[in-house]
This record gives sequence, C-alpha cells and structure tokens, in this order.
Amino acid sequence: MARPASPAFGANGTPPIVVEELSKTYKVTDREGGFGAAVRSFFKRKFKDVRAVQRVSFQIGQGEIVGFLGPNGAGKTTTLKMLSGLLYPTSGSAQVLGYTPWERQAGYLRSMTLVMGQRNRLAWDVPAADSFLLNKAIYRISDDEYKRSFQELDDLLELGPIIRKPVRNLSLGERMKCELAASLLHRPSVLFLDEPTIGLDVGAQSRIRAFLKEYNRRNGATIILTSHYMADVVALCERVIIIHHGELRYDGGLSELSRRIAPYKIISVHLGGCDDCALESYGVVLPGEDETGKKRLQVPADQVPAITARLLAEQPVQDLTIEDPPIEDVIERAFNEPLRN
Amino acid sequence: MNALRIIGAFLRLNVQVALAYRSEAVVQILLNLMWLAWELTSLAIIFANTNELGGWGPAELIALLGVWRLVNTMMSIIVWPNTEKFNQGLRDGSLDYTFLQPANSQFLVSITRVELWRLWDFVIAVVLIVVGLGMSGRVATPVNIATFLALTVSGAAVLYSLWIVMIAVTFWFTRFDNNVTILAALMDAGRFPAQVYPFWLRLLITFIIPVAVATTVPLQGLRGELAWWEIAGFLALGVAAVLLSSRLWKAGVRRYSGASS
Amino acid sequence: MFQIFRRLWALNWAEQWQYRANLLMYLLFWLVAPIVYLAVWTTVARTQGSVNGLTASDFAAYYMVLLVVDVLTSQITIHVLAPEIQNGNLSNRLLLPVHPVLTQVLVNNIAFKALNLIALAPIWLALYLLFRPALNLSVLYLALAVPALVLAFGILFLLGAALTLVAFWTTRVWALWNFYSAVFMLFAGHFVPLALLPPLLQTIAKALPFSYTLYFPIQLILGKLAPQEVAINFGMQIVWLALACVIFRVTWRAGVRQFSAVGA
Repeated sequence: MARPASPAFGANGTPPIVVEELSKTYKVTDREGGFGAAVRSFFKRKFKDVRAVQRVSFQIGQGEIVGFLGPNGAGKTTTLKMLSGLLYPTSGSAQVLGYTPWERQAGYLRSMTLVMGQRNRLAWDVPAADSFLLNKAIYRISDDEYKRSFQELDDLLELGPIIRKPVRNLSLGERMKCELAASLLHRPSVLFLDEPTIGLDVGAQSRIRAFLKEYNRRNGATIILTSHYMADVVALCERVIIIHHGELRYDGGLSELSRRIAPYKIISVHLGGCDDCALESYGVVLPGEDETGKKRLQVPADQVPAITARLLAEQPVQDLTIEDPPIEDVIERAFNEPLRN
Repeated sequence: MNALRIIGAFLRLNVQVALAYRSEAVVQILLNLMWLAWELTSLAIIFANTNELGGWGPAELIALLGVWRLVNTMMSIIVWPNTEKFNQGLRDGSLDYTFLQPANSQFLVSITRVELWRLWDFVIAVVLIVVGLGMSGRVATPVNIATFLALTVSGAAVLYSLWIVMIAVTFWFTRFDNNVTILAALMDAGRFPAQVYPFWLRLLITFIIPVAVATTVPLQGLRGELAWWEIAGFLALGVAAVLLSSRLWKAGVRRYSGASS
Repeated sequence: MFQIFRRLWALNWAEQWQYRANLLMYLLFWLVAPIVYLAVWTTVARTQGSVNGLTASDFAAYYMVLLVVDVLTSQITIHVLAPEIQNGNLSNRLLLPVHPVLTQVLVNNIAFKALNLIALAPIWLALYLLFRPALNLSVLYLALAVPALVLAFGILFLLGAALTLVAFWTTRVWALWNFYSAVFMLFAGHFVPLALLPPLLQTIAKALPFSYTLYFPIQLILGKLAPQEVAINFGMQIVWLALACVIFRVTWRAGVRQFSAVGA
C-alpha cells in the first residue's frame, strides 16, 4: 500500500479538498492571576500570538479516507474547523468541493458534515428520530431522499429501536450512532470526523469503523478523520497526515511511514534452556517478556535476514516470529523526531 | 416556506420536551398563579393608600400588569431558555453545529428551545388587559387597539433585538455567564408606569434597556395618549432595532470564526 | 474551632473574590425591586403630601436602611447547598468531623455578605444623594441594632438552610424557594413598610418570623420604636431563633438519614 501518487480527481478534474499554505494564528490575552494583574490588563492588554497552524498544504482525492494525526494541541481541530468553515484562516487558502469553506455558502454546508465525538448535536430530552426530522427541514431534504437515506443508515448502523428512545437514555455508543446518522442524512460527500470513537468501548469502536468504511465504499465520500485510537487509523486510513506544533510533518502512506520513521522490526524468540544467552549482541533487547519466556529484540530492518540466520545457528531457538513495530510507537516517533519529506 | 418548516420541526421537538416535563410545567403554572396573586395584592395595597399612581388609576395598572406579563411571557418562552442554550453551546462547543447548518444562524439561535407550556401565561396576560380596560370604563376605539397591537409588537421586537445584541456581544468577551442579567433585572421595572420613576431611572428604562417601550408605551397608545409622530417614532425604533441587531449578530458570528480580531 | 473558622474564612473570601463579576450582577438584580418600590411609594407620598404620616423622604430613609439590613441578614444557602445535595457532592462533606452547614456554608454566607457590603457602599452613597432620605441616626439605636441584626441573620440562616434541606427529598426545592421569597417580600416589609398593610395582612405578618428579621431592625435603626416595642420584638426574635434551631435540627437529621438511605 503505497502513498497515492496523486490524489484521485473529481468529475471536474480537481480533487475535492485542496489546501494551500493554510495558517491560523490566535491572539490570546496574556494575563496572570490575581487582582493587580486584572486591573493592569484592564488598562493595557498584553497579547500573545499562538500559531496553531502554519502553512499547511495538502490535497485529498475523491473517496480517500485520510487519518489526521498529531498530539493534543498540534492544530488538528483548528485545521478541521477551517476546512468545515467554522474558522477563518489568518492566511492561505482552501477549496473544498470548489467552495471556500469559511464563506459558508448554503451549497457547501449541504454537501459536507462535521462530527465532533465530544459534542452533542441531538436534542437531549427527545428521541433522536425527532432531531432527524429537524435536520430534514434544515437541510431541505425531500421526503423521498430522506426515506432512502434513512433506510441506508438504518441498515448500516442498525439503529432499530434506539432512535425511539430519548437521547439522554442512550449509551455513549448508541448516541454516537445516532449522531453519525443525524450528520449523514443529507448525504454529504465530504466528512470531517473529529475523534468519532472517543470514549467508546472496543466493540462500539469497531462497529463505527466498519460503518465508516462501508459508507465510504458505497457513496465514494471523502473523509478526514482524527483519532487517538490507532486501531481506527490502521483500519480505515491508507494515508495519514501528521501535524505537530501546527506544521505538517508527514503526508503519505501509513505503511511507508513505519518504513521511514521506524526502519526496524521486532524479532520475538523463544529459547529453550537458556536464561541469559547474551541476546544483546544481536540487537536491542526490549524490556518485558511474556509468561512463556519469549524475548523481544529490536533490529534494523535491513539486517533482519542476517540476524535471524545467526540466531538460528547460534541459539537453541524453539520459536521465532518477525513483526512490524507497533503503530503507536511509530506515530509517537513521528511526533518527536525531526522529519522531512 | 422553508423557515416555517424549520419552525414546525422545532415545535415538534419542544412539544415532546414539554410533555416529558409535564409535572414541572404544572409546578411552574402554579408558581405563576402565585406571583399573579402577589402582584394583584401589591396593587391592592398601593391603592388602599392612594387613588392614583403617577396619573394612572387601579384599572389601568391592571392593564399595564397584563402588558408587562405579555412581554415577560415572550421573554420566558423564547429569550431566557435560548440564552441558556446559547451559553451552554458556547461553553461546550456545540454552538459550532449551529453555524454549520444551511439556515440563518440568528433564526436558529432564537428558536432552538421554546417553553411551550408558558403559552398559558399569554391567556392570563390577555385577561388582565381586557379586565383592566373594562374596569376603567374607557371604550377603546379600533384605531387605539390597532395602535396598541402595533406598539406591543414593535416593543417586543426592540427587547428581542436588545437580547440579540447582548448575546452577540458575548462573541467579543469570553465571559458570558451574565450576558443578559441586566435585561432580566430591569424587566421588573416595567410593572409600573415609567412616569413613577425618577428621571435617571426613566431614562435608563426608556432608552438604554428600553423595558418601558414595550410596557408603558403600548398602553399609552391604547389610551390614545400618543401623538401620531410619537407612534411613528416608536414603530421606526422597532424596525431599526431589528435591522441593527441582525447586523451586529452577523459581525459577532464573523468574530466567532476569527474573521475579524 | 477558631482555627477552622479562620481557615474557612480565608478560603471562602478568596473564592467569593473570584466570583466578583457574578456577585455584582447578583447585587444589580437584587437592587432593582427596592428601588422600584421606593419610587412607587415616593410618588404616592408626593401626590398626597404623605401616606399614613410618611413623607417621601421618610420612604427614602426606610428603603435606604432596608438595603443595608437586607444585605446583612439575607442568606444564599440554597445556591450553595442545593446543588451539592443534588449532585451528591455533599457526601464528602458529611465525612468531615464538623457540621458542614454550620461551618462551611455559614462562613460562605458571611464572606458573600462582606464582599456584597463593599460593593454596595458606593451604590448606596449614590442613591443617598439621588433620593435625599431624612436619616437621623443615633448611636444608641445603632448599638441596639447590632444584636437585632445578628439574631435576624441567625433566624433567616437557619430557616433558609432548613428549606434547602428539602432538596434531600425533592428536586422541586427551587419552586419552594420561590414561594418562600414571595411570602418574605410581602410580610417582611420589603414591598411596603408594614404599617401600610391592611389590618388582616398585618396580623399575618406578626405571626410570621420575617417582620422580626427585616422590619424590626429597620424601624429600630430609624428610631421609630418605643422602648416597650423594642423589648417585645427582641423577645419575638429569640423565640423565633429557638424555633428555627429546632426546625433546622429536625430537617437535618431526617435529611441525612434520607441521603444515606438513597446512597447518593
């Protein structure tokens, strides 16, 4: 799975999302606590610039699912808010489906959606079905369209009886299903998902993931997704964009990322009758072993064949497996180490 | 009309909320009746000690109480619940969704939550107005009634616009727990005719927080006390307030999205 | 014990100071009603010279003193305690070796009062200049007012706390508070000096505690009471303080039992 050489093109020849040199700088008042400081700042405010996003550029093709990664405060949400039209950038440009998002034209708002996992858009005290009808009115969805859309979402998400219960009585997972359905009734072709699986249990997470994949397959929707759960990213995204301190650090295939960032593999060996047979000479011994006594070695990727051969020849190996480093480690490294494409 | 369809959908939602909290509704209605009794008692006490208050008799003060309650009902059906919703949305970020919907955001912010069971208060208000006028023995001409209705609508529009200004201003200041407190606090002053108050307070409730424009003024219209140019002036004020407040709202939304800072 | 109160004071003062913007808004809210009533009665007095012997400047004096007495004797217990009961946070405080209401909540009320008085001072001065009340204060009456105010606050604090404790049983405690406020405003002398009430309402006012907590201190400070009346009112204050103590103790015991039974 290599990085797509160029984004897939839409009907009119341009990719649905084109971002150029997008930057956002916040001016925040710099104020200390206490009475004196409060009085002083009343007369003379000190401002501090916070550069949340700095000259970020990328393009995303029709039907792509792209993982948007970065530690907290990296600028992910700011970028998503600019792309969905909630925030004006300080400089730079963006075109989504041919619209400039922050002009918030009705045509644009009707063809995209933003889902924020931690925020609630459904009316709290009534069943979700009624919030759906509200969205039907706001998005001007015709009866036929609504019926079709609802049918499809009902099939995919297995909404069933949960849309007839007041939202406050739903579990977090059920609520997220309803949130997603409410956000997709108007069949947007671009989806911005900010932590759509946050707080959900593993089962609910994987159901949401399967749903997103299927929705993408059926409708050819373009999706940008942020998540703290690497499982989401691995399951859904072939391509990831990493930003850190507001700057773009990486844009490319997920598998290529591990090759580039972490050009090493993990060899797990199970040795028979040897407690300390100086494994250090083969590679870095990773701390911890499981109850079966398996030891884990980190070795450079290009030396894997040679080291494996040496291990097999020199040690009483009972079992040996070669694995890619865990994706969490790879991403973690991508955040922390300097990296340029 | 799509706006009507959206209003319909919101009403549907709010009818259900009202039904879900019907025992709360009963308690609120009882409390409202208690305050009505309180207000009538206070009027009785005043007129046990005097024959007129600032040139107004007991019957007229009952009618004024009705007008005041009419305006208050509008505030409690739409303004206060939506303020709560707005501030909560600003705090937890769910207001973002409002701006991403393909409909006028001021419209959405104004009708998200409607406390329908307070519609009952309208009935009380209208009864008070009718009874007050009946007691005063004044026969209102159709022209006076039309003036009264027009001035009530424009007075309500002025207060609504002031509310929009107050919550729009919140976009510039991050502290928002008290954005409408001054309006809520001064609503109380509308229960008595503006002529009762000392000059500075009359100034405050006529021009700055114009509660009197929605209470004393419509009733003066009903009594036929206003010259045509005064009536025209107050109606123009209503229109101007609506236009200005919607411009300020748009500026506030631009500010919220960081277009102007 | 003194140490506890000193620490609590430092804590609550700092906390109230943090909420000073809210406090100003609360003050504004609270100020409107007395000013409106003052305006109403001044207008009435002006049109007919006097009402029941009270002139416009007498009414001004009455309401100017009322502002101070009300700040000194009122309580905000429901705002502090009801949320704690409803969200279950009170359970932490029940584990402390001191009574949560009689320490934490009490000091919180006093800190709020202190800050309120500071904020009220300039406003009071401005209103004094605007309304020109006929205030003749004497040291004797001011000195007598001190115990009257302390007793009044004691009564209102305990009654307010007892009412708040109803939150142990029902979420409708705010509706009850609304009702209590309406009764208070009419029968404490908030809406009108009690002498102007019709005879029937005056009788009811005498049977309720509120006239002794607001009307009595005001009249005492204004020097309107004969020595005998002063003595009777002090007596009634003590009776009501004792009654309030009993009511509070009973509701507290029953409430805490209810609270632990539900396991909130």
